[in-house]
Amino acid sequence: MRLPVGVKVGVFALVVMGTYTYYANSIPQIQSKPPAELSLEGGNVTPAQLVKAGEEIFKTKGTCEICHRIGQKGTRAPDLAGVGARAAKTKPGMSARQYIIESLLQPGAYLVEGYPNIMPQVDKPPIGLNRSELWALTAFLESLGGTPDVKLDDIPKTAGAAAAGGGGAAEVKIPGDPKAGEAVFSGKGGCIACHKAGKIGASPVGPDLSQIAKIQTPEYVMKKILDPAGSGTVAGFPKGVMPPMFGQSLTAKEYVDLVAFLMTLK
Amino acid sequence: MVLLLTVFSALPALAQDAAREPAYRAFPSSGRGSPCWAIAQLHLNFAAFILGVPIFAVIIEIIGWRTGDARYDWLAHEFVKLIFAAFSTTALLGAFLLFLFVGYYPKFWTYMTSIFFPTYWVYALLFFAETFTVYIWYYGWDWLSGSRKAIHVGLGVLSNLFGTAILLVANSWVTFMISPAGIDESGALKGSVWAAINNFTWMPINIHRLIANIVFGGTIAAAYAAFRFLGAKTDEERARYDWMGYIGNFVALSAFIVLPFAGYYLGREIYAFNQTMGITMMGGFMSWLWIIQAILIGVLFIGSNYYLWLGMERIPGSERYRRYVPMMIGILAFGFMVWATPRSMVITLDEARAMGGTHHPVLGFLGVMSAKNTAVNMMILTTFLSFVLYRRANRISTRSWVGIGMLIQWVALGLAAAVVIFYGVYGYFVESLVRIGFSVYQVMAVLGAIVVVMAVDIPMFKGARSTGAIRWGTIAPRSQYVLILLAVTFTWLMGLMGFARSGIRQHWHVYGVMRDNSVDAVTPAIGYAANMITAVTIAFFALVMFVFWLGGLAERGKAGGHGHTAAMPVFSGGSDADPARVPRPKS
Repeated sequence: MRLPVGVKVGVFALVVMGTYTYYANSIPQIQSKPPAELSLEGGNVTPAQLVKAGEEIFKTKGTCEICHRIGQKGTRAPDLAGVGARAAKTKPGMSARQYIIESLLQPGAYLVEGYPNIMPQVDKPPIGLNRSELWALTAFLESLGGTPDVKLDDIPKTAGAAAAGGGGAAEVKIPGDPKAGEAVFSGKGGCIACHKAGKIGASPVGPDLSQIAKIQTPEYVMKKILDPAGSGTVAGFPKGVMPPMFGQSLTAKEYVDLVAFLMTLK
Repeated sequence: MVLLLTVFSALPALAQDAAREPAYRAFPSSGRGSPCWAIAQLHLNFAAFILGVPIFAVIIEIIGWRTGDARYDWLAHEFVKLIFAAFSTTALLGAFLLFLFVGYYPKFWTYMTSIFFPTYWVYALLFFAETFTVYIWYYGWDWLSGSRKAIHVGLGVLSNLFGTAILLVANSWVTFMISPAGIDESGALKGSVWAAINNFTWMPINIHRLIANIVFGGTIAAAYAAFRFLGAKTDEERARYDWMGYIGNFVALSAFIVLPFAGYYLGREIYAFNQTMGITMMGGFMSWLWIIQAILIGVLFIGSNYYLWLGMERIPGSERYRRYVPMMIGILAFGFMVWATPRSMVITLDEARAMGGTHHPVLGFLGVMSAKNTAVNMMILTTFLSFVLYRRANRISTRSWVGIGMLIQWVALGLAAAVVIFYGVYGYFVESLVRIGFSVYQVMAVLGAIVVVMAVDIPMFKGARSTGAIRWGTIAPRSQYVLILLAVTFTWLMGLMGFARSGIRQHWHVYGVMRDNSVDAVTPAIGYAANMITAVTIAFFALVMFVFWLGGLAERGKAGGHGHTAAMPVFSGGSDADPARVPRPKS
């Protein structure tokens, strides 16, 4: 039996694509995940913990390792071995930590001879390190041949501003108690009367909130609770049904707990 | 089209609603990224096809018009027929993609609209203009013939201008996401929208896509011809589609040779915009992607050459040049291996200790750009040599200066190869910044050799003596599978490069400006990307076959649809002396 041309050509094309696909699945698989935010403000952290956190940032979110090596001369950027000791002598009148901080925030202010001015400001997007991360990274760099003595207050307050354009680099940490928030959802808040939230509730009056944290930001959820009409109505649901009095009826703690609970719904 | 315009006219309202809408909406049963990726890639495939084919279709039509050879006119019409059928599918996929963006990424879309809203109208109007011009171009083929042919050709040129303008507008959105410009620190437009359009990667991507679209259009048209060749019932039909496949491949190959240079330009601009992005692209989590790209480009080079060598078997007199084939295979195979050699291996700690690091002590030297640039330039030179030999396969120059001419050609090729190898080796002994500049010298040497060789070749073989007619239609059937291999591989490669272009933004919708805060913000590994690319490529070819079948259905039983079959050429093995030109029809 002669196979139709379409079948022969189709099988041939599938074999070709299958080969490429098989090969692509056989080589090392590396994903690129968004970096996690580090917050050390207000917390007790030992110098050793700080250095360890800084090393992590050096290798991940900071993307420093793409150009800098430690103990190996790079073609794009200087070797950072011993930078903690070297930095104190690089610019007259500047301590090691001051020089390192300046190098991170204004990389073009002083260039090591033989290297181009290509380093980005690490507190600005796309790297966008926050103050805690800058603190830890500085401590790690000081530890390379020196002794870390950097304090959080050494990092300028203006450093690490969030990304613009509505994106926002920082992931907001909700301070509330999700468990207590669930109680507010089912009890005093009365949200359960209209909304489903995972395993609790079943009412179809308002949108299903079972995955609200997946599709909404905390800012939106907080605003929506206080000002439902001003935050728009989800398509397919009637306008003006959600009561606007939660700002008065809930205490500050209940409100924060409720938001914390909603942000666990993923 | 009406659908598209309705959407565009509703955009301000949608944008206002979106400002109050969630940042993201959940897609049922999967992340929202995958459906957007699939539809975007499908849309791009169709768009590339309908923008690429008219470029060479109108050139072929002009050749037919100026030479009075009706066979070129028939071929140009055949090519336009293919894109004509794919037009509405492209528009529908574009509208579908728009719905996905507005629905699942409302905040992102609102932001893009705040920057690019004026361009939406330009895009819609250009789409109108492009559609109507192509309609008149296609349907007016016979009406605007004879003394009115100039008007018809003008329509073809105009449709290409509109098509290119559409490409430029759409590219401004995509490239802004990679290398945003013209905005302040809050992400708002500072002045004119032109500053956002004319960002770092806009022009390089315009050039790269324009050339790539021609390659893509050529390979798809050649694959169509191959399919028709394999299913042909008569020798005449086989001869006709053999020729059509040859022209399609010739177009693709001609554009493909310069595509790597456009790629270099794009890469350089990415580095100029942001070093981190450039380094992430070439040396970060995407580094293995370039190994796959190297394999695909290697397949394209070797496949294109193999097709030309098979084609030479149907040309009497080509036996003289067969002795060069083993040398060319050697260069291509070695170049392929060099290009596919990774710089660093992902290995276990014990293996790394045994090897003295992640770089192989010998082969590691072949993994750097110096070696790869040398390999690709040598492959381009070899492919060009294949074409030159094919071109003169059944011709013997009658010029008195043929000896000097040949000497100039070999010297030009030899010098180019020497320059490429010299800078390839010298690159190991200089700093990276100096080394990057060497690739420019290598490229200039290759392009210079191509220009010199052709400048000598064209007059040297004008009026040449023929050693026999090309036996169109007698090419080995396996050559047609090579054409299909090229089309499938290039389509897959387009998907891969789309992933690279989009993936270098990582977790940013607009790099450094608008972060992807959704749960789908992960940029997948190459295996997942390959699965997606394959699925989309299968869907693309299935749709293309369906669309072509529909186009054929309309013409079946109507003696050529709108009556253009009168110009259909009849082949009987041909007798033209120039293998790069068409055979004469049986009279």
